[in-house]
Amino acid sequence: MLTLRVGALSVAVSLVPGILIGWLLARWESPLRALVQGMVMLPLVLPPVVTGYLLLRVFGRGGPLGAAYEAITGGRIAFTTMACVIAAAVVGFPLLVESIRLSVLGVDKRLEQTSRTLGRGRFGTFLRVTLPLSLPGIVGGSVLTFARSLGEFGATIILAGDIEGETRTIPIAVYSALNAVDGEAAVWRFVAVSVALSLAALMLAFAFMSWQRRRLA
Amino acid sequence: MSIVEATIKHDFGRFALDVKLSSDGPVLGIFGPSGSGKSTILSVIAGLFLPHVADISVRSRTVCRYPGGSIVPPEKREVGYVTQDALLFPHLSVRRNLTFAPRHASLDSLGGKRIIEVLKLGPLLERAPAKLSGGEKQRVALGRALLSEPQLLLLDEPMSALDSSLAREVLALLLDVKQVLQVPMIIVSHRASELQALADDCIVLNDGHIAARGKPLEVLAGPGRVSGFDNILRLEVMRHEPAKGITWFNLGNGQELAAPLCSAQPGSRASVGIFADEIILCLEKPVGLSARNVLRASVREVTEAGQDAIVKMMLGDTQSLIAHVTHAAASELDLKPGREVYAIVKSAGCVVL
Repeated sequence: MLTLRVGALSVAVSLVPGILIGWLLARWESPLRALVQGMVMLPLVLPPVVTGYLLLRVFGRGGPLGAAYEAITGGRIAFTTMACVIAAAVVGFPLLVESIRLSVLGVDKRLEQTSRTLGRGRFGTFLRVTLPLSLPGIVGGSVLTFARSLGEFGATIILAGDIEGETRTIPIAVYSALNAVDGEAAVWRFVAVSVALSLAALMLAFAFMSWQRRRLA
Repeated sequence: MSIVEATIKHDFGRFALDVKLSSDGPVLGIFGPSGSGKSTILSVIAGLFLPHVADISVRSRTVCRYPGGSIVPPEKREVGYVTQDALLFPHLSVRRNLTFAPRHASLDSLGGKRIIEVLKLGPLLERAPAKLSGGEKQRVALGRALLSEPQLLLLDEPMSALDSSLAREVLALLLDVKQVLQVPMIIVSHRASELQALADDCIVLNDGHIAARGKPLEVLAGPGRVSGFDNILRLEVMRHEPAKGITWFNLGNGQELAAPLCSAQPGSRASVGIFADEIILCLEKPVGLSARNVLRASVREVTEAGQDAIVKMMLGDTQSLIAHVTHAAASELDLKPGREVYAIVKSAGCVVL
């Protein structure tokens, strides 16, 4: 349940910024676009433990955001469920953004122009034309982000640690079980759950995209 | 009151657009070959393209003055825009496409019902755009633009993507829109026959400049007038086939040319215009082709014109024909004087002047 909760929350917190940045990278014509795209894609190429370490420097008690959070709320971010969500969201973000970017690129710009000539402004055009037509990419990206979170280990173990009931997601539980004396049976249980969850998410996404394609074909 | 006044200047590199036009309505036609700047003019008026210099007014309201003035965004210009690709929103039904504009005439209002009736949209309302034919899509696109209650309707080659029977259907509907709904229009076309039927006033564009202006019959008809055609053939009318919408002309040397149905009597002579870039050349006679005109020709001369090659041919002993092809095509086909080729021309690409 913790793993599912972390996966769902990581998608939830990533969705709005993912859609905005995906749209920006698809439609923004500027030399700075390559730089922004590079920064967004960085977690995809960095080793997850390196990502986790960098996140710890930001969200840990000595980091700027971690210290600010503690000053305001009295609580901490590192080594909590929130840290799991942040780690999963950061490593999955490039997958979400890239999926949405490609989907927005597939939306005919002339449809957006037609919307403008019919009286819809930029935001109205985005809500009524661009967003609905790029839904397959948004759903696909969300599923990839969710699936990625199910397998996220490196960044999570650094930022969130291994605390039963708080931060022990399936990948971390597998690691713990592997180090235990009679842990193999538990490992197989966790693997089966992980595969089943990932498969279910992927099948749901493919079914949705297939339905959307039939609707628009 | 003037419907539209526009001064537009833009340097594209390969040519410069420099036009000053105005229209008192009801319908202004813009005629010219592909690449002459016709569609750009409409894009500028609609607010979809910002040229180097623009001064545009619609119904005496300045919508663009650049540089050094204000630019009204497209959604506030109250200008409807319909292109040759209907561009219906694929995720919305016909009804929701028609009512897409935030301010639109209700389908149940008098104006809305009139538009639905004129464009015969009633049976289509609950269908998805993917299930419509080309002509139906174009009707929906027209209805959608009209329901947004525009001050001016821009039509960019609205019939060029349709076959001849559908094009005639849409042409008839546009005539109804003009006469019944009385919405001022600017229509762009490279087919003189469409503008002769619809437009009250016409400008002829050539290489980004206005080459002529006047009534359509004055500027578009008759040999020797400025028409923009690379080929004007003076031919004898052989026979009409009204069911197919074509008239056959005698090219001599045993060949005939099919062109859109005209009213000239068999035995009389008429001028037929053909654009050079609408002619396809091949070395062997093709089979199974939709085009009616597959003409035997002999290459007389091949000259360079920028990125293109101008191929001058003879159809028999008396009729000449000019085609534009790319340098690469001319090289691949090894086009040179004396080469026997076949020139393919769609009947719809011929204009009886």
